[in-house]
Amino acid sequence: MEHPFTWYSVLPFAHRIPIHVFHSCIALLAVLLVGWRIKRSVARASDPLVPEPRFSLRNVFEIVVQALQAQLHAIIGHGSERYLPFIGGLFVFIFFCNILGVIPGFVPSTDNLNTNLAMSISVFLLYNYFGFKEHGAGYLKQFAGPVLWLAPLMFVIELLSHLFRPMSLSIRLFGNMFGDHMVLSIFSGLVPLFVPIIFMVLGIVVSLIQAFVFSALSSVYIALAVSHEH
Amino acid sequence: MSRKNARIMVVALVLLAVAAPAVYAEEGAEGKGGDFLMKFGLAIGAGLGMGLAAFGGGLGQGRTAASALEGIARNPGASDKMFVPMIIGLALIESLVLYTFIIAIFLQNKI
Repeated sequence: MEHPFTWYSVLPFAHRIPIHVFHSCIALLAVLLVGWRIKRSVARASDPLVPEPRFSLRNVFEIVVQALQAQLHAIIGHGSERYLPFIGGLFVFIFFCNILGVIPGFVPSTDNLNTNLAMSISVFLLYNYFGFKEHGAGYLKQFAGPVLWLAPLMFVIELLSHLFRPMSLSIRLFGNMFGDHMVLSIFSGLVPLFVPIIFMVLGIVVSLIQAFVFSALSSVYIALAVSHEH
Repeated sequence: MSRKNARIMVVALVLLAVAAPAVYAEEGAEGKGGDFLMKFGLAIGAGLGMGLAAFGGGLGQGRTAASALEGIARNPGASDKMFVPMIIGLALIESLVLYTFIIAIFLQNKI
């Protein structure tokens, strides 16, 4: 399924970097720009605790951050604020990447496995790091299972399931965004007028849900790694 | 579906599975026919696999959504707490369908 038109194919200097890196850079620039705008508006406000009186970017992002914080607290529990920058950053970046797919002429960079694998491998490394930081060497006990004589068997099973987590995370995001973008491009090829609007709305919903699913599953993995014995 | 029908279908599927390699071996020697049959098999495999995966995933997601809605209907106050586990469960079910989708895309690219 070739795209009829992308900005990537028009810009002459863009071909030095792969297409998904190009679109990741655009999403990253958008995230940076939004973050800079919000930081500036917070710095300019006379009292940063008081929200702005009208509908603004800062208010939207305060709602988003608050929702993410509540979500993270519901999943991880005590001490969840430490992980908010990582999880929130993942959510916002994935959402911006996904939403690029709805804008004509752009491709979501998350419909390439490389982008997703980069993010999910960092999730994998980080939750193991958090587990070791929280429990020390006792983190390895989580792999051993409940009874000692089953430990050799459980260790292999747990190791496999842990190794499969980043794969399933990245493949889920990849499949969803790839499929969603393909549906959109097929229908815009069939009927260019009005009909794609339905699939664009679907695309926005899928972008939001998939960004949420990725960040929620990452926080579930962190919660499993740092949780104490129940 | 009655039990007899199910049995007939299983027998038919087994026969198909047993007979297909034989047909393939017969035609494969001719070169061009083998190429056609390979494409035929790839197309059938991709389409049928995707259909089966969507069938199973649809059943699983339907059960999830049904019980979540039932829970919300019984206790509307708990819908906030039910939403996130439901989304995560749906995503985990959906990922199994997506694995098949990716395999189907790989198969389709080979045609």
